[in-house]
Amino acid sequence: MANKEKGYLALVLHAHLPFIRHPEYEDFLEEDWFFEAMCETYIPLLDIYERLTAEGTDFRVTMSITPPLCNMMADDLLRERFRRYYSLRLELAEKEVIRNRNTGFYEVAKMYETKFRRIRELYEDYYHGRILDGFKKFQDMGKLEIITCGATHGFLPLELRKEAVHAQIKLAADDYRKHFGRGPRGIWLAECAYNPGDDVFLKAQGIRYFFLETHGIIYGSPRPRYGVYAPVYCPSGVAAFGRDMESAQQVWSAETGYPGDHRYREFYRDLGYDLEYDYVKPYLHQDGVRRNIGMKYCKITGKVGLNEKAPYNPAEAREVAASHAGNFMFNRERQIEHLNGFLGRKPVVVSMYDAELYGHWWYEGVDFLEFLFKKIHHDQKSIKMVTPSEYLGIHPDNQVVQPSMSTWGDKGYNEVWLNGTNDWMYRHLHKQVERMVELANKFPNADGALRRALNQCAREVVLGMSSDWAFLMTVGTAKNYSTKRFVAHTHRFNGLYEQIMGNRLEEGFLKDIEWRDNIFPEMNYRVFSTEEAEKAARS
Amino acid sequence: MTSSGQIKKNNTAPEAEHKALPESYGATEAALLPRDPNWMFIYWEITENSKKNTRSRHGQDVFEKGRQVIRVYDMTGITDGGAPTKYFDIAVMLEAKSWYVNVQEAGRAYCCEVGLVMPDGSFVGLVKTNTVNLPGGRVSDVTDEKWMAVTADFDKLLQLSGVEYIGKGSGEVAKSLAQRWEMLRAVFSRASSFGVSSMSSQNLQKPEQPKKFWLVADCELILYGATEPDAFVTVSGRKVNLNPDGTFSMRFALPDGIVDLPIKALSKDETDSREIYIKVTRATNTDGK
Repeated sequence: MANKEKGYLALVLHAHLPFIRHPEYEDFLEEDWFFEAMCETYIPLLDIYERLTAEGTDFRVTMSITPPLCNMMADDLLRERFRRYYSLRLELAEKEVIRNRNTGFYEVAKMYETKFRRIRELYEDYYHGRILDGFKKFQDMGKLEIITCGATHGFLPLELRKEAVHAQIKLAADDYRKHFGRGPRGIWLAECAYNPGDDVFLKAQGIRYFFLETHGIIYGSPRPRYGVYAPVYCPSGVAAFGRDMESAQQVWSAETGYPGDHRYREFYRDLGYDLEYDYVKPYLHQDGVRRNIGMKYCKITGKVGLNEKAPYNPAEAREVAASHAGNFMFNRERQIEHLNGFLGRKPVVVSMYDAELYGHWWYEGVDFLEFLFKKIHHDQKSIKMVTPSEYLGIHPDNQVVQPSMSTWGDKGYNEVWLNGTNDWMYRHLHKQVERMVELANKFPNADGALRRALNQCAREVVLGMSSDWAFLMTVGTAKNYSTKRFVAHTHRFNGLYEQIMGNRLEEGFLKDIEWRDNIFPEMNYRVFSTEEAEKAARS
Repeated sequence: MTSSGQIKKNNTAPEAEHKALPESYGATEAALLPRDPNWMFIYWEITENSKKNTRSRHGQDVFEKGRQVIRVYDMTGITDGGAPTKYFDIAVMLEAKSWYVNVQEAGRAYCCEVGLVMPDGSFVGLVKTNTVNLPGGRVSDVTDEKWMAVTADFDKLLQLSGVEYIGKGSGEVAKSLAQRWEMLRAVFSRASSFGVSSMSSQNLQKPEQPKKFWLVADCELILYGATEPDAFVTVSGRKVNLNPDGTFSMRFALPDGIVDLPIKALSKDETDSREIYIKVTRATNTDGK
């Protein structure tokens, strides 16, 4: 009875953070982004995959784990610092259980204690500090499909040189192979930013599919027969899956989305501000400034001031998450049945989200996913969950369409990454790429210190290419940090470039930035050569 | 402590990071980038040496006599070596070094050339960009015999695909959280600040009940300029943050009426200053249908 389903649901989570690692500081604020996402999203996702598997609940999910994130997860220094991070949280959570014994916050205090103990258990006992092995395990079981992303989440439509596009894709594919033991089948183009023609560079790495925002498909040419409910093949033969907006809106929407339910946890009320200063101080950064520490005791409650928020009730919130999962599934069943009748073909509904939405922003989002997987497995027959690879195996017959340039950013094109707050970056970035290509072409077989310098140049260029810097300038959060990062990588590159061209390499300078910017330990600068890019384009 | 390096307690000195970025790279070049179906961004650099060459070829006063423009060529269908026939000019100052270029027709290929239009109508090109293919921003007219759907079905399909949500992407969650934060702050402090906004986005909405034919239009104001990177600049009395290369730009909502924009720059040592006063008038007339 395998063919009873009316259509498919592909759930895609995009997990990404920029490469943030500062060995030059003992304690660095922005590194918390990674530690928070580890505690709130990445490890909790592994937790539900473990539980579902143990219970015998089958599930399918596609996750990008971007190369910067892989590099951070595998980095010794950040692994050490993450241990320090969760150990401190656990210590505080244990104190808090005692302090809150007879208060309305006892349940939520218990919740954090349990949570951080489980994080320790998973991180240490299950994965021995190597959480990529955890993700790999579920990929090898066929339940999770891990996809890659541009090497540093580079925004490809604003690159002038094909060498840069090739380098972003090739470095990513190599890094994926190193961590997961085989080549990537799919890719998440950073910001879903697609520039027609770039797909040939995906094909060259054996990548079979990528994802697009809705209008990338429906503005494609010729008209796509099934809209976003079937993938299309680019002229290169790489498949493009389009985002379903109905399921996206159901979760995202500011007015009606699930995360705004008043029984869910309030993000903006945090123990970092609530606790007595001397008591919380050991858990703040070294500068002693009160900041969010990720432990929050209140629910959204309603449209009231932060000081009027009611205590969070974990059991109540879990029930709400279960009912939201039921609602989401019900809507997908109706949607898929309707599309099936209308299209005369089993539709594939592709629901794409930022992974960090689940757990980090929407605290109960991970519970929601667990309930959703269970309900889809046990309670219905019209939806079958698939990965894009599975879908292409079942339905290799798809229309050839040239998708349109598009992104998933505000207004649908490149403006988020190209506006008055960040347009000044591009002349510097393009110059670096041009110089990097020049270096790669000029030195086909460098060795020794020159080779190290050229590899470091390539690291600095790709770090500067992260779409995150332009994004953060636009939204205005961490604008100083992102500007500093972009400027620093530019200086480091230009410094090395001048030393190389002037034949006066300074070992101390090189060593210092190798130590700071250690992403892609296996970097081979030749990835930027014109020859390599042309070979890839011809493949 | 780890293979990736020791934690050096004393090595927290900022390195070269505080230095401003290079102001120029000593090469005459220009690049064109796609922003959306109707907008592109161009940046350029023209060296003194190039200017000297231009003067010696076209006369010492060529920069004074010529009108400084960006010439925007329509390159659609033009293959290597072919000459474009369609173009238009945008007046600029060469010192602006970058510009947002608006084109009426989406879905076409464009290339720009910064140069001078001489009194006799001839054009002296200074630097040319790459070619950019802009997206069409709408449903394709091309259909596919093998995969054809009837038109009415296709319209329905567009609706089902969520055509109404186009452009409401990942910013959404960040935005809704930010809004909630603003709400909380407002409840808390009763304070709200509305200042010079660099991102006033007014979305053009299709009329709620679409008639057969419709038109919406609006306009915004983009102010930009450049000065010494360490200068203190104000627009309408508010401090403006300069980009590391000394350029700045702002986008304003532009309602009907008169907008005054006094722009002041003060040198770092506070010994020198410059002022530019811009007055913009907008009047909108609709035929009321």
